[in-house]
Amino acid sequence: MSALRIRDLEVRYGTHRVLAGVDLELEEGEFLGLVGPSGCGKSTLLRCVAGLLQPHAGSVEVFGIPVRGPSPDVGILFQDDALLPWRTARENVALPLRFRGQPIREAMERAEGWLRRVRLEGFGDHYPAELSGGMRKRVALAQVLAARPRLLLMDEPFASVDAIVRHLLEVDVSRLVADTGAAVLLVTHDLEEAISLSDRVAVMSAGPGARLVEVYRVPFGRPRDPVGVRADPAFGSLVSRVWSTLRTEVARMGWELSA
Amino acid sequence: MSRLVALVLLFGGWELSARARWLDPVLFPPPSAVGWVLYELARTGQVWSHFRVTVTEALAGLGLGTGVGATLGLLCASFRPLAEALEPAMALLNAIPRVILAPVFVIWLGIGMASKVALSFVLVMVVMFFATYTGIREVDRRLVERVRTLGGGRREVLREVYVPSVTAWVASGLKVAVGFAFTGAVVGEFVASSQGLGYLLSFAQSTYNAALTLALVALVVGVILVLFWAFGSLERWWLRWKPEYRRARPSVPAPTPPVARPAEQAPTAPGLMR
Repeated sequence: MSALRIRDLEVRYGTHRVLAGVDLELEEGEFLGLVGPSGCGKSTLLRCVAGLLQPHAGSVEVFGIPVRGPSPDVGILFQDDALLPWRTARENVALPLRFRGQPIREAMERAEGWLRRVRLEGFGDHYPAELSGGMRKRVALAQVLAARPRLLLMDEPFASVDAIVRHLLEVDVSRLVADTGAAVLLVTHDLEEAISLSDRVAVMSAGPGARLVEVYRVPFGRPRDPVGVRADPAFGSLVSRVWSTLRTEVARMGWELSA
Repeated sequence: MSRLVALVLLFGGWELSARARWLDPVLFPPPSAVGWVLYELARTGQVWSHFRVTVTEALAGLGLGTGVGATLGLLCASFRPLAEALEPAMALLNAIPRVILAPVFVIWLGIGMASKVALSFVLVMVVMFFATYTGIREVDRRLVERVRTLGGGRREVLREVYVPSVTAWVASGLKVAVGFAFTGAVVGEFVASSQGLGYLLSFAQSTYNAALTLALVALVVGVILVLFWAFGSLERWWLRWKPEYRRARPSVPAPTPPVARPAEQAPTAPGLMR
């Protein structure tokens, strides 16, 4: 059974067609990176899968079940680290466990375990405002993984952190996701990030009426070192192939690009 | 520390000037004279019945105003038509100096405590209405989505997102409301009454008793400072997650390079705090 099956998806905002005829399938445990020109509707697609947005046509199925609203099987990591500011890091991570009816003590112990896994041992009693941006990202990651999602959606999760923190976070994500065996749909505009983490990379066309134009298979196994893999010659050649597709789409948005 | 020095200088200078007759001690009685009047008031006990009346009026106005204001704010945030009907009226009440209603309440409710509670109530209610109404409307949609995608239902969204974020607004509104509650009570008494600190003030003014006037002012200021401290402590405990209330433990040095933070999410009531 596929983790995610999107058929002929269409979303409009008023009369503006954002997505038209999107088809996408994700195997269980597969990591798929989705890249595309900014504003093409990547986030909209993700919101449909998360059950936060109802598509106008087409179907979205998660593990064979049509999406009607947020599902316990689906975790989502947003671009902004929207942690509850009035809850400590540990309480934030324990939140999804408590929503599932776990007693507070047990939820807190498990939350502590997840904090350890994202290298934040000893920061459980800190409020989000007391943590750095990178640390908050890791708390958010622990929070979403604590819910044990079978499908993890990530919307530009590392967009607001600097390059060094970003690489460290990529390493964390790569390792933890491999541990949990969850399927991942990662939306990003960073081509190299998508390739370094994914099994497959899909390129979306420019909007309006965006759809998938091309899907590339990444020739490296997982788990892998998402930073080290960038030195591989095969990595570079894939980047230039994906980029050539992406560039055509970006050019359609009116940008003049020199070769 | 510098505040303490400033206070000592101010009161010391005042005391000296009055004693040296640079200032007319009838119009500017030295702090020692004011302190003596306060002591006499407390010793003879004649001030307590007035004190109790004023504090009762103010607290009744504060309680009623907070309850009604917060409830109306909640209802307005939930029902659009009600907000459209009520918000302009509230905005108008907010814009005018509400103490001008004092004579109206005296005519309607007499010179007893009821008219003072009413004035205090109107002053507080408008503040608490806007604190609650704005608090609910300013709830961070991202936090609501976050809780929903983590498996929370309506009840969890209410408990985890709405209640805490509105609490922050209400807490800062309360501090403003305490002062307003006493304004209502004292000004109401000043206009027409037979008891209360405002009544005593009016009496002291009509007899040109500057020492008694200043003693009464000091008394009201003292009560408000105590209440401010109480509400301040409550707020610090309620909002202990806010960075400005966590000076006891400074922000940890990040093991990773510092990065730009997104805009602060903690709600603060513009124009109400500080």
